[in-house]
Amino acid sequence: MNELSYKLAPQHATIAVLHDDSQLAHEVLAQLSVLSQLELVTSLLNDDIASIASTSASLVLLIQADATPLPTAVVALLQEQPQAIGVSQQLVTLDYLSAYVQEQVLWPWSKHLLFNRIEQLSQLYQTHQKIDGLRQALAWHKARVDREHQLVEHIFKNALSRNYLNYQYVNTYLTPVSKFNGDLCLISPGPLGNIYMLMADFTGHGLAPATGALPLSQAFFAMADRGVSVAEMVTEFNYRMSRLLPNDMFCAAILLELSANGERVNYWNGGMPAALLINEKGDVLRHLKPTHVALGVLDDEEFDSRVTSFRAPKGSSIAMFTDGVIELLGHQHKFLGADALEILLSTYPKPEDFPQIVKELERFRGETPLHDDLSLAILCCRPTELGQTKTEYEHYGLPFRLESVLQAEQLKQLDPVALILSAISQLPHLRHHRTTIYLFLAEAFNNALEHGLLGLDSKLKQDADGFLAYYQQRYERLQQLREGEIRISLEFEPTRKEVTIRVADTGEGTLQHDGCDDFSENAYGRGLELLRQMTTDLTWDNETRTVSFKYRL
Amino acid sequence: MPLHRQFAIDGKELIISIKGKFDFSLVQEFRQAYSDVGDQQPTVFIDLRETEYLDSSALGMLLNMRKALGQSVKSIHIINCRPEVRRIFDISRFDKLFVIE
Repeated sequence: MNELSYKLAPQHATIAVLHDDSQLAHEVLAQLSVLSQLELVTSLLNDDIASIASTSASLVLLIQADATPLPTAVVALLQEQPQAIGVSQQLVTLDYLSAYVQEQVLWPWSKHLLFNRIEQLSQLYQTHQKIDGLRQALAWHKARVDREHQLVEHIFKNALSRNYLNYQYVNTYLTPVSKFNGDLCLISPGPLGNIYMLMADFTGHGLAPATGALPLSQAFFAMADRGVSVAEMVTEFNYRMSRLLPNDMFCAAILLELSANGERVNYWNGGMPAALLINEKGDVLRHLKPTHVALGVLDDEEFDSRVTSFRAPKGSSIAMFTDGVIELLGHQHKFLGADALEILLSTYPKPEDFPQIVKELERFRGETPLHDDLSLAILCCRPTELGQTKTEYEHYGLPFRLESVLQAEQLKQLDPVALILSAISQLPHLRHHRTTIYLFLAEAFNNALEHGLLGLDSKLKQDADGFLAYYQQRYERLQQLREGEIRISLEFEPTRKEVTIRVADTGEGTLQHDGCDDFSENAYGRGLELLRQMTTDLTWDNETRTVSFKYRL
Repeated sequence: MPLHRQFAIDGKELIISIKGKFDFSLVQEFRQAYSDVGDQQPTVFIDLRETEYLDSSALGMLLNMRKALGQSVKSIHIINCRPEVRRIFDISRFDKLFVIE
């Protein structure tokens, strides 16, 4: 909507004229009517002056040839009216009127005074109109901005609703300057019981930088759910930020991952103050320095996603903070500084002492207003106790049987095991066992293909070069395969939660046992052994050339 | 990209991560990933956080890597295994040959 439409068009100033119908009155009125920018409302003194009283006139002109006493209604009106001018040719009349009006004009000698006065009034009126228009436009804008802020705030609340700031082994102190935070502190558990933490600081503060926080947080949570590596996460963040942010805006960030056992830390620091690894005695063991440029500066080719990793000793913790904490302005107009902050953090190394740190920071700041967002978070390096994501199923669904008969052409072109897995992964209870079922199917299928149809010899895999040669041969022989088929069947019985797998081939080779009974350090012969150990009822039928086995979920 | 290889900043750690399926289809790529470990005797980390599927050919490839690298690396760690993957390594007694975290 165009804001100009809210400015009122300046209207003319209104002047109310009360007169005695004298020759003087008509002369004055005739001269006034020439003036533009003026709206005249006239009335006789002895008339009903209610119409005059209701107009919000800027000025009242009282024209009287002689000192006839004013009607009471007029006197009452003049008492209400702050701006009134009396006009007359007689000094004696003006003298009489001076009791009711603020100014007097002796006609015609000082009539220029009247015109100046009217001109001034008209200008003043227009200025008022303009100011009023601007004021209304401003009020309208403010209402609009408030509404928009509310909307964005709502979106933010939702976007960050899953931020795991309540994680029991982290302490945070997050204080934005305005409603919207240019700092971002995100925590999310990963699927392996690991935990991710991101602390980011966009240039500036307020709504603009906070807007960049939306896509960043969305990417962070989605990727944390998938459990991707720190290097991959920051690459994606940078990809998004470099496309999204204007050239003069970027985002300093430190992303950190703590393993489920609380010992292994991977981090990437782009432009954030060095985080501190502090042991329980308060010694600073390590500075997690910024070895990279902030997010959103470099394009994909230049971006360096290399992470640093280390082992965190038991009882240690990692303190992350934005420069707002270092540059905290104290009540004595001094900055806190990195050294003082380090001393403060190492004075209180225990998680339960965190409130002390906050207290000290607030004491230092006193009444000084914040000039940058503050974010401080301390993560304890200890087992996360988050556990791996598990889902329980109430029932195991329908019994079913899936069979696929593959001809030579299909064997060449398709990856049957992966295709079967993508089909059965649609069933939640089987999905949970997909890695194991994949292993079984892959072993049985590869055995049927490699030994049954292609006649390959596993002994070739004895050394690394042979290993490569074996798979080279597999590829070549598969390309030349003219006939032969492999039949894969998978049966599921829900009450016993049992999967039965059968794989048959039409080839000539036998089920290769590879000639080793135990797991050795040989790079081959493990497939069958894995099946033997992990499944039950493992049989090989020479007649039908079928391997079959069962597995309980 | 199913296989990703990266040295840590100080060159003392080589991280190889495998996404999706870990089997013989990666045999050359995997060999290449550890062909140049530098002379800093790095620790090798095989990050399997995103490995959903593996079979015995992957076990073979890991063993070949161990043989090939020998003393040129400090140790080989297999990290971030999903529980099912972990079980396969346990049954194969890989814990005796690698550091499994």
